[in-house]
Amino acid sequence: MLKKDLLELCLLQLLSGGDKYGYEVLTPLRTAFPDTQESAIYALLRGLGREKLTTWYMAPGGGGPDRKYYQLTPEGQARLELLRADWRNMRDAIASFGVE
Amino acid sequence: MKQQKPLTKEQYLKKFSRAVRWRLPPQESEEAIADYRELIFQEERDESKLVEELGDPVQAAHLLTDVKTYRRWLKIFAVLAGGLFLLVKWAWTAMIPFRLYGIETWWYPVWVMAVGLPLSLYWFRRHGQKNGPMSRRLVLALAAGLLFLLGFAALYWYALDPKNLPIYTEHIDYQIYYESMLTVCCRVLVIYGGILWSLAAFAGLVLAKCYDRRWLALYALGLTIAATFGFVELNMLCMDLTYPGAEAMRAYLFIRILPIDAVGLIGTGVALC
Repeated sequence: MLKKDLLELCLLQLLSGGDKYGYEVLTPLRTAFPDTQESAIYALLRGLGREKLTTWYMAPGGGGPDRKYYQLTPEGQARLELLRADWRNMRDAIASFGVE
Repeated sequence: MKQQKPLTKEQYLKKFSRAVRWRLPPQESEEAIADYRELIFQEERDESKLVEELGDPVQAAHLLTDVKTYRRWLKIFAVLAGGLFLLVKWAWTAMIPFRLYGIETWWYPVWVMAVGLPLSLYWFRRHGQKNGPMSRRLVLALAAGLLFLLGFAALYWYALDPKNLPIYTEHIDYQIYYESMLTVCCRVLVIYGGILWSLAAFAGLVLAKCYDRRWLALYALGLTIAATFGFVELNMLCMDLTYPGAEAMRAYLFIRILPIDAVGLIGTGVALC
């Protein structure tokens, strides 16, 4: 599992908890991966949209202009399950070496 | 490590917009710009940490780029812009440093058009996108180009009239020397007109990539005018009016200019569709 896959897993996991707008998605990921810039995460988010794993819609923001909300598609949910399984396998493999 | 220059939110968005419009198709670039506007102008966003958090704007645009398509575009752009550069050079110096066996030099500008027009139409109709209603500036630029072309044709038709030509020109060593006001005007028109419309064609090419593919019509029209002017200028320098005579030379020029311009105007129309 590459770092890109980990980021993708986290992105999909975040969106599985409910629809979110861009800044809401990017900020926690940048906090969790401080050496990754938001532009890279945004590019990944855009890539997910191109692969039809996410979709978006415009909705009123908190008192400001409309915001773009990202939503997980059924294909995105399936991809999330796949990545979760990959992550568990990798975690178990690493743990078998005694890495805590 | 290179120190990143701090940018204001407006500067960041401007730089990002410019980079992304050049690299992505119009619709995709507008989407990315709208998303970045939303991200940048969040209340919580600290302007002093903009580059640190979002990354360099050009680098951010690069991350969204389909590298393969972008490289292909750069190659196409180099060919098209190179052709326009040649037209500017020929308009300015009327000198051709190389000669291709079997092709008269005055046909070179037409060859540039023969390559540029189909190549650009193919690329933009395949990869370009329309973006909203047609720009008024484009309509005005096209109207100006058509008027310019018609004015040029009328002026040359008059200047090359067998009755007028001997008054305005002198024959020395089988070359036309531009010494009267009319012929000076004609020469200035083909030189500066050729340069001006090559530059307009270049602007059309860039705008077609960055905003709306219909701007390619300006490229097509500018290319047609510049190629016509180049053809005429190089022809005039080689023209021998003592044989077969001015009337025949006028017919020679216009019989060739008309189909060239007809093809260019059809190309302009196709670019608008």
